[in-house]
Amino acid sequence: MDGELGRRESKAQIQRLEHDPELSQGWDTYHLIGDVLRQEASLGVDFQRRLQVRLEREPIVVAPHALPAQRLLRHSLPLAAGFGGIALVAWLAVSLHPFTQQQAPAAVAKAPALAANNVAAPSAPAVPATVQGAADEYLRAHQEFSPTAAMQGVASYARTVSLEQGDASR
Amino acid sequence: MNARRLGFLLSGLLAFQLAQRAALADPLGESDALAWLQKIATAARELSYSGTFVYQHGDQMETSRITHYVDRAGEIEKLETLDGPRREVIRNQDEIVTFYADSRMVRRERRAARRSFPALLPDPLSSITDFYQVRRGGQDRIAGLDAQALVLEPRDEFRYGHKLWADLNSGLLLKAKMVNERHQVVEQFYFTQVNIGPVSKEAVRPGFVVPPMPARSAQPEVTSPAETGWVVRNSPAGFRKILEMSRVRRDGQGQVAHLVFSDGLAAVSVFIEPLPASRKVPDGLMHQGALHIYSRSLPDQLVTVLGETPAATVVQMGNSVGPKGK
Repeated sequence: MDGELGRRESKAQIQRLEHDPELSQGWDTYHLIGDVLRQEASLGVDFQRRLQVRLEREPIVVAPHALPAQRLLRHSLPLAAGFGGIALVAWLAVSLHPFTQQQAPAAVAKAPALAANNVAAPSAPAVPATVQGAADEYLRAHQEFSPTAAMQGVASYARTVSLEQGDASR
Repeated sequence: MNARRLGFLLSGLLAFQLAQRAALADPLGESDALAWLQKIATAARELSYSGTFVYQHGDQMETSRITHYVDRAGEIEKLETLDGPRREVIRNQDEIVTFYADSRMVRRERRAARRSFPALLPDPLSSITDFYQVRRGGQDRIAGLDAQALVLEPRDEFRYGHKLWADLNSGLLLKAKMVNERHQVVEQFYFTQVNIGPVSKEAVRPGFVVPPMPARSAQPEVTSPAETGWVVRNSPAGFRKILEMSRVRRDGQGQVAHLVFSDGLAAVSVFIEPLPASRKVPDGLMHQGALHIYSRSLPDQLVTVLGETPAATVVQMGNSVGPKGK
């Protein structure tokens, strides 16, 4: 403490301090005395009780401590960037394919140019790109209950995929 | 509804029909063909396999890789497109995840009606043989395997003809072809190469990061079996209602009534959703391969009928949709 002990001696002393409860209590006491003598005397005898009362009156603020919060952010940012792109996109996928088909038949009416695809069923135009999202929703819902699709397993999803990909190929 | 259970139900239905038919005189080998159908249904859910297959419709062809993994926990299936934009579809007991590699979009959907379907099972479906002439065809070679052909010829114009080829040993469906009344192929699926036997679980893992469910879609999207208040008055013979339910619309705005009809092989779905009067749309018909989609607007509802049937079937059903009891 006051630099009077040699380096080796102080080291040994500190080690003893760590292992000897009586000694460490003495250390604490001397420090307390020192504190009181220097400046803490003005706190008064019932400081602890008054502190407690004040603490109880203090409004409770439930907020994360600024420093830990920042640290957390710093750690999680790269992680979020890692799959945040995809997480966001999952949301987009959901909202880009609304379960609705309000424009569908209008688009159908404008699709006679696609008749080249209709060797087998000339009466019906191929599914136009504008309705694929909606038609796809219906198809997905339908397939879960079709015996034909059940026999084909996930292969039946080739239909769904094809319906979606029509966008790119037509 | 998980595929295993659906498969189980379907094979149960087939078994029932089989037993029913076996008792009758059977000059065409119908019961034998039905036994093969059952074998196909069982193989579809119990076999592990991986292979490459082609989906052909109209003048288009698409190649995909397919992997089917089975263990005690159930089935996991994966489909990856091999040409065009990369897509992956992974289906397990609970959900279907689709990955769109080009746009880096992932779509997660809960599988609908898992619990409700069995409870909703209607009176026995009309027998397949009432509406299709079912017979065993010859033997053929598909994807390097010896295959047994089955022919299901429709007895009327409301359904397509089916020709199926199953692996002689395992019963796995190797090729499926649908033809119209002029015997033109409207759609076919076939393996070009397939390995039947254990596959590693690695093979059905997604090739992308599956993001957490967005909060909104985490709500159960579907499905309560329910009276929807809608009825199809004039279904072609054999198409009996097997399910009726209410789905939540994708955009979360309101409900869509969903009615499913089947003749035991083909199915037709009827969707009815509210449509604001301001958005009136003309009726329309579309198709892709064997699939026909017909839309028709009622005063304030949009009716969409979809099925792997000829146009006549979806149009007739769509035109006879109306509110119950009127």
